[in-house]
Amino acid sequence: MIRARGVRKSFGSAAVLDGIDLDVHGSEVVSILGSSGSGKSTLIRCMNGLEKLDAGSITIDDFDVSLPKDLAEARKRSATVFQLFNLYPHMTALQNVTLAPIQVLKRSRAEAEATARSLLDSVGLGARADAYPAQLSGGQRQRVGICRALAMNPRYLLLDEITSALDPEMTAEVLSILAQLAKTGTTMVFVTHEIEFARTISSRIVFLDKGQLVVDLPTEEFFAAEGGMARPRISQFLSKMRKD
Amino acid sequence: MRYTSFTSYDVVLLAQGLGVSLALFLTTTVIGLLLGTIWAVIRFYRVPVLSPLIAVLAELLKNSPVLVQLFLVFFGLPALLKINVTPVEAALITLSGNTAAFIYVIAVSAIESIGRDQIESARVFGLSRWQVLRHIIAPQAMAFAIGPLTGLLVNQLQVTSLISVIGVVDLTKIGNILNLRTLKPFIVWTIVGALYYATAKLVAFGGATLEKRLRAHSAWKGL
Repeated sequence: MIRARGVRKSFGSAAVLDGIDLDVHGSEVVSILGSSGSGKSTLIRCMNGLEKLDAGSITIDDFDVSLPKDLAEARKRSATVFQLFNLYPHMTALQNVTLAPIQVLKRSRAEAEATARSLLDSVGLGARADAYPAQLSGGQRQRVGICRALAMNPRYLLLDEITSALDPEMTAEVLSILAQLAKTGTTMVFVTHEIEFARTISSRIVFLDKGQLVVDLPTEEFFAAEGGMARPRISQFLSKMRKD
Repeated sequence: MRYTSFTSYDVVLLAQGLGVSLALFLTTTVIGLLLGTIWAVIRFYRVPVLSPLIAVLAELLKNSPVLVQLFLVFFGLPALLKINVTPVEAALITLSGNTAAFIYVIAVSAIESIGRDQIESARVFGLSRWQVLRHIIAPQAMAFAIGPLTGLLVNQLQVTSLISVIGVVDLTKIGNILNLRTLKPFIVWTIVGALYYATAKLVAFGGATLEKRLRAHSAWKGL
């Protein structure tokens, strides 16, 4: 499980995360909602070790991400999909997906490529395996990004606003893949602005506001009139998001 | 036949001179590439003491005339260390160091040109700092650097002509000798110039070919 305790992080004088406690258990899909600047992405970046914590701790299967020797193991168990894809532009889609399995998991090239091809096939990119990122549309790039994460066979998938840079059509193609993944029981931490989608795939919804975790409820309860919606801050946020 | 006329042996002389220039150019380029790249990698790893030391050294080498550096090595080092430095050794040391300094600058900016986002994603997927350098940064940095590098090498080829001053018998020195014998400066220096030109073109062509290959991932319409 992913366990965050008292996580604090500030950039300069701005406290971005102000004491976050969060548990994500196996096979859960936890969506993290909140307005821009509420600390959602920073929380993900703390989970995968890209930001150092100022205080508190995050462990992934009891591996502490702030310890260098644990971080490698924590990173093997989790994989991140990025908002802006962050693909390697000098590598083909296939090479993007096989790099880490070959270098980090020490798989053979043939094995890694076979896995990568079947993953790319499953997201409808089998024919584009040899294309470079710049030759792909945004939606296709993000699907490669998802394959790259899945190729690591991670226990936890960290998804950082993976559709915010995509138009609605491309968003739909990426989300449909996530919906399939959710069904297979992949554990996901899903930072998103896609409220309706979060509602359909999540088992729990977490709401961040100004670096604090204000609500952590099962999805049903979060959207129920007497649950999360009873809180003015949340109903205000949701009605605003739905209008857009 | 008067001593001022050209003989077929002059062709051999020119070829020898060109050979010496090329050999020095290639050797110092290889050493310079190696040194400059190692310096840049040391900076990438932010090795304490060494990185700032290298930065200062590169600054000194970049911002002083090669001729002065050459005199310092050829006349200064023997005086200081009581050792013997041959003209060729002095030329090798000076040109290698000078090339290394400029390659260091190119390599550092090439490494820094690679987007942080890619490096972050590679780190998140568990690649070590070395693997990131090897698989993500180096191939793209090479594509970035090849243009400035070709420019630098074309220039360094011309700079080798300075070593004739301390008595290395390179192409320029041969030009000097032929000039004194034949008393036909216009013809001699035109031929010598043309030989440098042809060699420089060859270097530039090699660079362009390599660049095309390294940039294969962005070599299509609309980019």
